[in-house]
Amino acid sequence: MSVDFDRPRAALGELLFRDPSLSGDGKVACSDCHHENHGLADDKPRAVVVGRPETAVNPPTMYNVRFLYKLSWSGKYDSLESHLDALMTNPKVMASSWQRASERLSQKPSYDAQFKAVFADGLTPHNVREAVLEYERSLVTPNSPFDRYLRGDAQALSNEAKQGFGLFKSYGCASCHQGMAIGGNVFERFGVLRDFFADRGHFETADLGRFNVTSNERDRFVFRVPSLRNVALTAPYFHDGSAATLEAAVSAMADYQLGRKLDAKDTALLVAFLRSLTGEYRGKPR
Amino acid sequence: MSTSGTLRGSLAALVLGLLVVLSYSTVHAVDYAEEAAYARDLRRLQAATAELNERVLRSRAALMDQYDPLVHALRDLRRLHQQLRRVPAFLGAEAARDLRRQLDASEQELRRKDELVESFKTQNSVLQNSLRYFPVLANLTIDRARLRQGGDAVASRIQALISAIMLFDTEADAESTSRVRAAQADLATAKPAAQTLELERDVELILAHSKIILEQKPMADGSVRQILAVPLPKLALQLEDSYSRYYRSATQRAIVLRQALFGLALVTVALGLTEVILRIRRSASALELATTELRAANLALAREREKERQLGELKTQFVSMTSHEFRTPLSVVLSSTELLESYGDGWARERRQDHWERIRAAAGSMRRMLDDILIIGRAEAGVLRASPAQMNLDEFSRHLVEGLEHSTARSHCIGYTFQGDPRVTLDERLLSEVVGNLLSNALKYSAPGSKVQFNVVASEERCRFSIEDQGIGIPEHDLPRLFESFFRASNVDQIKGSGLGLAVVRKALDVQGGTITVTSNLGIGTQFVVQVPRNLAISTSLRSEA
Repeated sequence: MSVDFDRPRAALGELLFRDPSLSGDGKVACSDCHHENHGLADDKPRAVVVGRPETAVNPPTMYNVRFLYKLSWSGKYDSLESHLDALMTNPKVMASSWQRASERLSQKPSYDAQFKAVFADGLTPHNVREAVLEYERSLVTPNSPFDRYLRGDAQALSNEAKQGFGLFKSYGCASCHQGMAIGGNVFERFGVLRDFFADRGHFETADLGRFNVTSNERDRFVFRVPSLRNVALTAPYFHDGSAATLEAAVSAMADYQLGRKLDAKDTALLVAFLRSLTGEYRGKPR
Repeated sequence: MSTSGTLRGSLAALVLGLLVVLSYSTVHAVDYAEEAAYARDLRRLQAATAELNERVLRSRAALMDQYDPLVHALRDLRRLHQQLRRVPAFLGAEAARDLRRQLDASEQELRRKDELVESFKTQNSVLQNSLRYFPVLANLTIDRARLRQGGDAVASRIQALISAIMLFDTEADAESTSRVRAAQADLATAKPAAQTLELERDVELILAHSKIILEQKPMADGSVRQILAVPLPKLALQLEDSYSRYYRSATQRAIVLRQALFGLALVTVALGLTEVILRIRRSASALELATTELRAANLALAREREKERQLGELKTQFVSMTSHEFRTPLSVVLSSTELLESYGDGWARERRQDHWERIRAAAGSMRRMLDDILIIGRAEAGVLRASPAQMNLDEFSRHLVEGLEHSTARSHCIGYTFQGDPRVTLDERLLSEVVGNLLSNALKYSAPGSKVQFNVVASEERCRFSIEDQGIGIPEHDLPRLFESFFRASNVDQIKGSGLGLAVVRKALDVQGGTITVTSNLGIGTQFVVQVPRNLAISTSLRSEA
C-alpha cells in the first residue's frame, strides 16, 4: 500500500511537530503528548505537560490519522484540518494561532530557508499549517504481519495470532473493529452488556463521549471505536487510560461489550492477534 | 462620399455590436468541459446515493461487514454536494440559484441520512456482535450442559432459542418474534436447573444476547428503512432533471447567440465587401479619368511632336529653300562680276551697264529676301511688333503704285482708286510689305498689258485694300497652303519667286490685327482683299487692355 504525500514538506512538518515554538507560550510541542517512542501516543493515562492542565482524555496515537473519518474520542472533528486548527487554538492545548506560530518561527533563522525550500512563498501562517498537516498525512504504518497474512503470507502470523483472529471474529470484536484501520469507522457505546462507568466508580464529563458533541440522548457514553493498528505500542488504553495493558483492555472489552469474562488463554490469543497489527513506519517495524 | 460614410458608420456599429455579442457569448457560451464535469458529478451523485443504499443493505446482510465503504460513500456525497455548488457559469444566475437551493435541500437530507447511517452502524455493530457471539456462546453452553447430569433439558431449551433466533434473523416478523419470546421464557424457567449445573451465568448471557438481537434487529431494520426512505436519490434525479433543463435552454441560448453572431458577422462581411467594391469602383473611375487625361496628354504630345517635326521639316526646307534662293542671285553677282573683271575693259558701256544692273538687281533681290526672312523669323519668334504712326494712306498707296509702275517699266496697266479719309494710324513699313507684295505678285503672275485693279477704301473703322488681277490664277487645292513659307502654287511654272511673299503678308497682317481673303479663278484672275483697323494704335491698346 502506498499513499501520496510531499516528503520534504512532511519532514519540515515533523520538525514543527517537535518544536515548542508552535505553542502560544513557546513551551509545548505536539510531541509532548504524542511521544515518538510510544506510538505517537501518551504513555500516561492523561497527558501531563508543564503549564497546561491535565488532559481530559488519553491522547491517542497519530499513526494512520489520515484514514480516520472522525477525529478525537468524541468524533468531534471531520477532518485533519479542523482537528488541527482546534488543537492549535485550544487554550488547554497549544493556546496559539498559526499567525503567532509563524511569527515565533520567523525568529529562528534556520526556518526561513527551510520553508523557502518547500513553499514558493516561504514562511507564512498558512504554510506552517500545511507542513504540519503534511506530516500528519505521512504517518502511515503499512505492512503489519496481519496485512501480510491477508495478502496470502500464511507464515506472517503465529498460530496464536491466527487463533486470536478466529476469536476476534467469533467473539464479535470485528463487528466494530473493522475496515482498513480495524476500527475508526463507527461509533459505539462503551458498555453494551455492563455499565463500565458504574463499575469504575466515578464520573467525568469526558465519559459522555459523543453526547458532548450531539447532545443526543442515545449518544451518551458513545465513543468513536478506535483503530487497532499499532495498538500494542500505545498503552494505556481507552479514553480514560484505565487499561494499563493490552490484556486488561481485551478483558474489559469482553466484559463490557460481550458480557463475558475471558479466560487467560483466550485473552493471550487475542493479544497475540492484536500484536500482529503493528505496522512499519518509513519501512521499519515499529 | 456620403454613402460610403454611412457604410463605414454602420460597419463600425456592427463591429461594436459583434464585440458586445461576442463578449456576452463568451460569458454565456456553453463550456463543454465544465458541462461534462458537472454532468459527471450529477451522475456520480446518483450512483453514490445508490451505492450508499446498497452498502447499507450489504452491511445489514453482513455480506461485507465493513463500514469503510459507507464512510467513503458518505464522504463522496458530501464532496459531490460541495462540488456541485459550483454551477457552470453558462447556465446563468437564476439556474445557479435554483440548483443551489435544490442542493441545500439535498444536503439537508444528506445530513439526516448521515445521522441515520451513524445510528445504523452503531445498532448494527451491537446486533452483529450478538449475532456472532450468541451461537458461539449458546453451543459452548449446550456442550457443557450435556456433559453434566440433567443438563439435557437446559441444552434443549438453549437449542430451541438458537433455532428461534436463527429464524428471527432470517425473517423478523411477528411469528418469529413471538417464537423467540417463547423460547426465551422457556429458557428463563430453566434458570434454577442451570444454577445447579453452574451454568447460570452462561444462560443469563445467552438470554441477554438474544434480547439484544430481538431489540437491535428491528431497530437496525428500521434504520435501514429510514435510510432508504431518505429521498436523496429522488432529489438527485430532480437535480439532474433541472440541470438538463437549464443545460438545454443554455445550449439553445448559445445556438441563438451563435446564429446572431454568425448573422452579424455575415452582415459585417457583406458591408465590408460593399465598401471594398465601392472603393475599387471609385479608384477604377479615377483610373479611367486619369487614363483619358493621359491619352489626351499623349495625343497633345503627339500633336506637339508632329508640329515639332513639321517645324523641323519646315526649317530644313526653309534652310534649303533659302540657300537655293540665295544661290541664284549670288551666282548672277558672281558671274557678272567675273565677266566684268575679265572682259569689262573691252565691252561697250551699255553692256557693262547691263551687268552692273544685273548685280544690283540680284543684290536687291537678296536684300528683299533677307527682309522677308527677317520679318517671318521675327514673327515666328513673337518679336514682330507694329509701330503705328500717323500717315496718309492715299499718298502711301499712290507711291507704291508709282514705284511698281516704275520698276516694271509700265508693263501693266494699274487702276487705282481711293475712297474715304486718308489720315490713318498704321505701321507704314508693315503695310507696305502687305500691299507691296500683293501688288507685285499681281503684276508678276499676269500677262504684260493686262489690267491690275487696286482699290483702297478707308472707312470709319477699317481700311480695305482690294487687289485684283487677270493672271494665271491659283489652283483651288493650293489655296489652303497659300500663306506658308516657300510654298508656291503648282502652276507658277517658270515664273521666279521665293515663296516668301504671301507668308510675309500673313505675318505682317497678323501683328496688325488684319485679315486677308482670296478668291481665284484659274486662268482668269485672282482677287485679294485685305482689311486692317483704321487706327492701329487704338485697336492695339484696346486689344492689350482686353
